[in-house]
Amino acid sequence: MSKLKTPKNPSEEAEDELVTIKDEEIDEDEESQDWSQAVKLSTKSMISSIPKRGEKDYEPDGTNVQELLLYRARKAMFDTLANSPRGSIVSNQVKAYYDSKLHGAILPHPKGNFLQTMGSVDQEGRCWLDFQEFVYLAERGTVLPFYINEPRDIEIPLSMQDLYSLFRSQAEMDRYFIFAHLKRLGFIITSSYQRRVEKTSFYPPSNPAFGSSIGLRYDSFLSFIDLKGASLMNAFFYTRWNFLLRRYTSTQKIYEGLKNLVPSVRVPKTADELRFERIRCQLNPTAPFSIAFNVWKPQTNFKKKSPGLPDFQVVIHNKNDASQHFPSYSELQEIFHSLDYKFDFLNEIDEEVNWDNDSYTNGVLRSQHISNARSKAASTKPRPVNHLDTKTENKHGMPHVKQFRRLKAGYRSFLLAIMDDGLISFVKISEADFGSENVWYIPSNQGSSTRPKRHGNNGRDQRRSNRRQIKKRTEK
Amino acid sequence: MAKGKPNGVRYRYPLPIHPIQLPILVPHNPVSCIYWAYCYVTTINRVTKIHVDITSGKYAHVLVRNAEQMMYLWENGFFGTGQLSRSEPTWIERTVTRINESMGDGSKNLALERITEKRRLQRLEFKRKRVEFEKYILDLRRQGGSIEQETEVLEKQRQALRDFKASQDKDNSEEEIILYNESESLFDDEGGVQPLEALELMPVEAIFLSFALPVLDISIKTLAGRLFDNDTLSYNTLYPLVRQYVAYHHYRSHGWCVRSGIKFGCDYLLYKRGPPFQHAQFCITVLDSEEYHDYTWYSSAARVVGGAKKTLILCYVERMASEERIVELWKNGQFADVFSSFKIGEVIYRRWVPGKNRD
Repeated sequence: MSKLKTPKNPSEEAEDELVTIKDEEIDEDEESQDWSQAVKLSTKSMISSIPKRGEKDYEPDGTNVQELLLYRARKAMFDTLANSPRGSIVSNQVKAYYDSKLHGAILPHPKGNFLQTMGSVDQEGRCWLDFQEFVYLAERGTVLPFYINEPRDIEIPLSMQDLYSLFRSQAEMDRYFIFAHLKRLGFIITSSYQRRVEKTSFYPPSNPAFGSSIGLRYDSFLSFIDLKGASLMNAFFYTRWNFLLRRYTSTQKIYEGLKNLVPSVRVPKTADELRFERIRCQLNPTAPFSIAFNVWKPQTNFKKKSPGLPDFQVVIHNKNDASQHFPSYSELQEIFHSLDYKFDFLNEIDEEVNWDNDSYTNGVLRSQHISNARSKAASTKPRPVNHLDTKTENKHGMPHVKQFRRLKAGYRSFLLAIMDDGLISFVKISEADFGSENVWYIPSNQGSSTRPKRHGNNGRDQRRSNRRQIKKRTEK
Repeated sequence: MAKGKPNGVRYRYPLPIHPIQLPILVPHNPVSCIYWAYCYVTTINRVTKIHVDITSGKYAHVLVRNAEQMMYLWENGFFGTGQLSRSEPTWIERTVTRINESMGDGSKNLALERITEKRRLQRLEFKRKRVEFEKYILDLRRQGGSIEQETEVLEKQRQALRDFKASQDKDNSEEEIILYNESESLFDDEGGVQPLEALELMPVEAIFLSFALPVLDISIKTLAGRLFDNDTLSYNTLYPLVRQYVAYHHYRSHGWCVRSGIKFGCDYLLYKRGPPFQHAQFCITVLDSEEYHDYTWYSSAARVVGGAKKTLILCYVERMASEERIVELWKNGQFADVFSSFKIGEVIYRRWVPGKNRD
């Protein structure tokens, strides 16, 4: 019954898609771990083999079979943990001392790979860890946490419990969990409020007072013209006489008449529009949602001191906190305004965005800043200038394919990390602009839309007949 | 499919008002000019007025009963839903073929609705079988069977279920599914099938087809009077529908085919051309710009939508005029002003998986 398998009506199939939501979306890091595999790594060999993950009962069935299975799996996990070799190499251990005034930790003898992405050095040349970096590294066993009792100058080693008691608020704890989660997955993260890091911005330094006055005037003038024109057009289009008096020679023209009624938010789409928007709208420093982290994808040539623009920016929302709520539209807009990252949608428009030429570090164009720093350091090593090119292959495409990509990807975006009873999930929220894209179908007079199909069929038929001929030949 | 026309021809016009065809104008030929001017004056954009019934009662239903007009609305912009069909009003056609089939006039072309029906029955049968097997295992457990025994049985059962499924896929074409007997009331006096189905328009569709495109034989004022009681009209009763309409008009006017999204737990589905051409790619949920919900609300909506491989769009509607002014405009019948005092802002909501975004 081939018909059952290949329904022609898409909506039919869509219905079935819903029924058979499969586990496709679940990937490895979401699956629960199978500890029976890890058992093999443990020092003492386990005698019994643990059954693999099996069927799960959804209701109690009056027997204890499920409990037994659960017990065995859990035992496997605990046995593995109890028997595996753990610890760190003494010579690699780094001591870190907690400083309650700065709420961070100081490293007298910094060493280790983690310094590539974590820690910062102050004017006196001391290496500092952020509190969340400190807890994260202590939890991994990379640093040993200590506290110095100043008057007597005694080192007190800290336990994990001690460290957790040093968190100053639930919000800080949430932030730590999300930090640690992303960190374990290999991302590079800096807190957006972090000190001692060169600030890089997409927006050029400017005199805000000057810019805003021009911007505002320009904007109000434009919107005035826009509104007047549109409302006059509307007044006529929606009267009884419109279709009696006016002649529409194409569907497109009817759509043109229709689309002026409901205004929609215009979203900045190019670098210039983004910068103009930033001048026009002042940032609200008291906004309830602020950017908690800047996140970079895992990379080897990360420069801690001057990292450039981040790949993502993260905002945190605790679902269980009654004083917080999911952002409303105006709050979302405020977040969008405050974003300052590698606006990936600009890659779609421009052939090549060189982020060094398009961002400003300490108020100087980043490419200049980098070359200054290089001449200071007198390093003559030629470095790869732009490693972004690898990702910019499929820029070319049919206009409607491009349009579709624009609609699906949206424009400015941020990650909303949701903390729900300790479970972390991420949502990507992007600005969309359906109001500036027209998807209307323009009917052609000859019905040429069917023509390419016919061509396709011919091709297929030809191939089929070719195959038949080949078959015949082989039969012969 | 039904009319034997290719879809490109059948759904040629995306709106129920068709553009006029003017003859080719040759500027230096005076005859051509005169003929062109003549055509321009005499032809108007054809507006076929479509008759609608509005049922009274707590919820007004906007219905189109004429078979030809039902088809016209479906074929020119995919408006409305057949009350006894999935969306295209095909009930009468299906019924006639079904009756002919049962009379022995076996045509193999099954209607899409029948295919789904068949599939659902198959699934039901499969589930019944599975429940049976589960019962067997439970009995085994109660009698103290070991886990090893159990896995052995489970393996066998799985194979049996797989075989069963394969056999279902193969030899079901001949089976006849008779769900109900034909009742007398189905037929009219001459033995033909009575047209029981009507095309139901969503209120927003009815507004669009009377206010934006004058296609229905009812004016927007009359329609508004039927949808709301003018005496007790307040902003709060008015707003929910106006909000839905503003969003509907926004997407319609940019060329999307907008259909109800209730199947996927949202307000609208956006098709690029229409349901016969491709799947809907976007699901629209309309919200007020000040509105927010618990995170669970967003995530469940996104789960359903994501499960059907669509993109969830949160469409925020922002009020730009005072509430009193909007009610006043509505009462004065200045509907265009009512609708243009709202602004649309959109946001894409998508689950983000760290593991898939590492590079």
